[in-house]
Amino acid sequence: MARYVFRRTIQALPIFFGISVIVFMVIHLAPGSPVDRFRVPRVSPAQIQRLIELYGLDKPILQQYVSWVTTFVQVWRPEAWGYSFLDGQPVLEKVVTRAPATLRLMGTALAVTVLLAIPVGVLAAVKQYSWTDKIITTFATVGYAIPSFLLGIYILFFGGVVLPQWTGGRFGFPLFGMESFGKQGDVLDLAWHLVLPVTSLAIQQISGWARFMRSSMLEVLHQDYVRTAKAKGLPRGRVLGKHALRNALIPVVTLLGLSIPGLLGGAAITETIFSYPGLGSMFVESVGSRDYPVVLALTMLGGFTVVFGNLLADILYGVVDPRIKY
Amino acid sequence: MERVELNREGLVLPATAPNVAADHEEIDRTPVRTYWQLARQRFVQHRLAVIALVVLVVLVALAYIVPLVTGPLFGRTNLAKIDAPATLEAPLGYDELGRNTAVRLMKATQTSLTIGFAAVLIIVGVGSLVGSIAGYMGGIVDNLLMRFVDIVLSLPVLFIILMIVALFGAGNVWVVIIAIGITGWTLAARLIRAEFLALREADFVQAARALGAGHRRIVLRHMLPAAMAPLVVAAALGVADSVITEAALSFLGFGISSPEASLGNMLTNAQEYFYSAPIRAVYPGLVLVLIVLCASFLGDGLRDALDPRQRIGK
Amino acid sequence: MTAGAGTRRGRAGVRTARGVPPASGDGANLLELRGLRTHFFTRDGTVKAVDGVTFEIGNGETIGVVGESGCGKSITAMSIMRLIERPGQIVAGNVVMHGRDLLKLSDEQMRDVRGNQISMIFQEPMTSLNPVYTCGDQIAEAVQLHEGVSRRQAWSRAVEMLQQVGIPDAKRRAGEFPHQMSGGMRQRVMIAMALSTNPELLIADEPTTALDVTIQAQILELMKALRERNKMAIMLITHDLGVVAEMADQVVVMYAGKVVERSDVTTVFERPHHPYTEGLLRSIPRLGERRARLEVIRGVVPNPLNLPTGCLFKRRCPYRMPICDTAPPFQEVRPGQYSRCWLTPEHEPPTVGLSPAPEVAEEEAERLTVAPR
Repeated sequence: MARYVFRRTIQALPIFFGISVIVFMVIHLAPGSPVDRFRVPRVSPAQIQRLIELYGLDKPILQQYVSWVTTFVQVWRPEAWGYSFLDGQPVLEKVVTRAPATLRLMGTALAVTVLLAIPVGVLAAVKQYSWTDKIITTFATVGYAIPSFLLGIYILFFGGVVLPQWTGGRFGFPLFGMESFGKQGDVLDLAWHLVLPVTSLAIQQISGWARFMRSSMLEVLHQDYVRTAKAKGLPRGRVLGKHALRNALIPVVTLLGLSIPGLLGGAAITETIFSYPGLGSMFVESVGSRDYPVVLALTMLGGFTVVFGNLLADILYGVVDPRIKY
Repeated sequence: MERVELNREGLVLPATAPNVAADHEEIDRTPVRTYWQLARQRFVQHRLAVIALVVLVVLVALAYIVPLVTGPLFGRTNLAKIDAPATLEAPLGYDELGRNTAVRLMKATQTSLTIGFAAVLIIVGVGSLVGSIAGYMGGIVDNLLMRFVDIVLSLPVLFIILMIVALFGAGNVWVVIIAIGITGWTLAARLIRAEFLALREADFVQAARALGAGHRRIVLRHMLPAAMAPLVVAAALGVADSVITEAALSFLGFGISSPEASLGNMLTNAQEYFYSAPIRAVYPGLVLVLIVLCASFLGDGLRDALDPRQRIGK
Repeated sequence: MTAGAGTRRGRAGVRTARGVPPASGDGANLLELRGLRTHFFTRDGTVKAVDGVTFEIGNGETIGVVGESGCGKSITAMSIMRLIERPGQIVAGNVVMHGRDLLKLSDEQMRDVRGNQISMIFQEPMTSLNPVYTCGDQIAEAVQLHEGVSRRQAWSRAVEMLQQVGIPDAKRRAGEFPHQMSGGMRQRVMIAMALSTNPELLIADEPTTALDVTIQAQILELMKALRERNKMAIMLITHDLGVVAEMADQVVVMYAGKVVERSDVTTVFERPHHPYTEGLLRSIPRLGERRARLEVIRGVVPNPLNLPTGCLFKRRCPYRMPICDTAPPFQEVRPGQYSRCWLTPEHEPPTVGLSPAPEVAEEEAERLTVAPR
């Protein structure tokens, strides 16, 4: 097991390398230079030249790449990811400060997804063709078709504007932010602020997972071993809950890896809509203001998350399916 | 020898030649149908897909014809008509600058669809190029190309697209199209590769090879058409994905910006009038959901019709 | 000439054809199927997969159910177990065991029959075992359920069963997953699972079809040995007449959802009556016989949505007669031998002035063999 994890991690290294090359190339090929933002009358050409040398922008591209990558991996040094153009803070520190908020948002959304989508999908499959199934399938189809940013706007509007109006201001969700002023560290307050963003982030995920769970369960229900279980005289609950479900869950594990890119993108948009102080909104801000070090760092981090998600899915696959050998 | 008891019908049977004509009618005469006839039959049975196709055709027609007829009306402001209610020539009323919302919505749909179609062209083009080379050549070329696909697949897609659009020129339609296209071709490439790996060994390809057909001819004339089915489905879903991505970009302020109209920037705009005119956020959202829903039903229908074996994991 | 006796019985057969052939009389029947009909209601029409099947299985008797794929033999078995699922439905008939009609039991009562009084093994040992549970676990589950013993006792019973079906090192093997075993081993596990509760009837649906020939023989030997030891009846579904000759006491031949012939195994092999049974027998290659080519039954199984009127086999039948446009009754042609065919016991056409026209039938059959795919 440990050897398998190690081997898969080693196999992921070329992918990291590829991602870093692509990200670096995009930045390098982009018109304009990172120092353009300093080309204002106050800054003399000599100072600009010093900046160019400082960032190594006059060196050959390969050398620039190598020096960037070699510094980037030294995460134990606070300056490894450079300093933000906007406020001069070390990027690493900024990321570490903001990461918990995003992890909390994505983690909660994922947990809600798993807890809701699996039972709902199983229910739809077991009651195939029934009204229950039709209703679930319809909701899942529509939910999957609504882009998360659209849902975000509507949920923001409903939870933050309509609901308070209806209830005469007594009931409503916070419109933005992660915590109320003066209530830092209050768990209930944090959760209260998470309700709307998590809802808008999770609905598309829940829809996708429920549909996948349903079709996976339906496929398993037609397998010979389910017939064997019935022929043994097992009660229906046992046939479904033990023999069918366990097998139907195997392919669902891969969704864990597959849904990470969608969750990341969704988080960026959701955080922006709800002014949630996480890494996603930070990325949107920094890309808008051409804050290269932050953009680079967050894109690499995003790639790392995707690869890590796939790795996790592979490992879990091995855990749930005894046929997989390490 | 004794006679066996017969029932009534048995006794009235003529004792002469067997009733061959009657027997003919019993023979299974299901007509042999061609692939396309069968495909069309399967598609038509898919009621939702047919409805989706009709809705999409109407929507596309409206999106391209209305702006053509009305010309630059979508951007024309009219101070006298700020927030004016609906009339016959403006069924959805006027916005905060006195622009005709319905016309603007159709123009926005056109922009979004155009970007979607163009991006899908790139997706299908790059996807089938990479996929067919990998699948046809096999071996080390296949291995290298697929590693490359793995890398692109591991990119945080929205981050990369945002980065490209922001750094290469926000608001430029072409940058948006290319950014969506070059990050989205991996599914198409994988599908085509899988088809080609199977087709490489197919009898008709072997036959073409035995007849001395060149690589180009084999790929273009024999293999690509046979691998069309999954590509068509991927394209249908690709349009929907691209439209969403474009809308998200414009919504975040990196895509198409005012005065040009796009579904995304109409939404951003509408967000500011949540309190006074919440309905404005509904129109572009509805069109967006309609496009995505229809494309997904259409994709389902096409998949069942063209290639019942194929199931694209979602 | 024995025709007299045969025909007298034949008359009796005609009388009962509407309903049920007489039971063997000694009351030793374990299971009786009476007019069982299982239909599938598909979008294209109703498929009468099992259409009025009647036969009985005596205590400790092995009955072979033979026929081409799609003739309804597996559906019959699934109907006995009440494992038919949508769009299929048992529309008529009785399945009587110990005086109870299984089709009228509550779901809960039926569960107690399944895997306890009647066990079933399937054709595909590769897919019939659950891949995510160990073999021992899957056997012990049935034992624990039906015998009400502890988990530990159930497990040791599972190991014991695995020993009985000839799996070496059973203790260790019980903890292994199905994918770690070969096809033959898995079928042994299936048999162990089926027999772990000492059922009175074992339904074996093509138990050896998916296996290598040498493994087939081993599995058949094993089933024979266990049959003696457990004194159970077996309903053996197969398309392989060799397996029937090896195992069965009684034979039921099915065609297009109906029983077309039934008798004891010796009679079927020595004096088959129904032309379909004849065809099946002729298509077995025999050692030492030189034939230009193996005889096969011409034509294809009729489309279940478009069955011929009258005799269902007439389009493929070499003896085809005009009377075949009328459905033949299921009648006793010789003592203990029932057949659904108009031919007399001596294989002569019935003499109501109906002349056979085999040439025409042959032409028709030729034409049918090149029917569209």
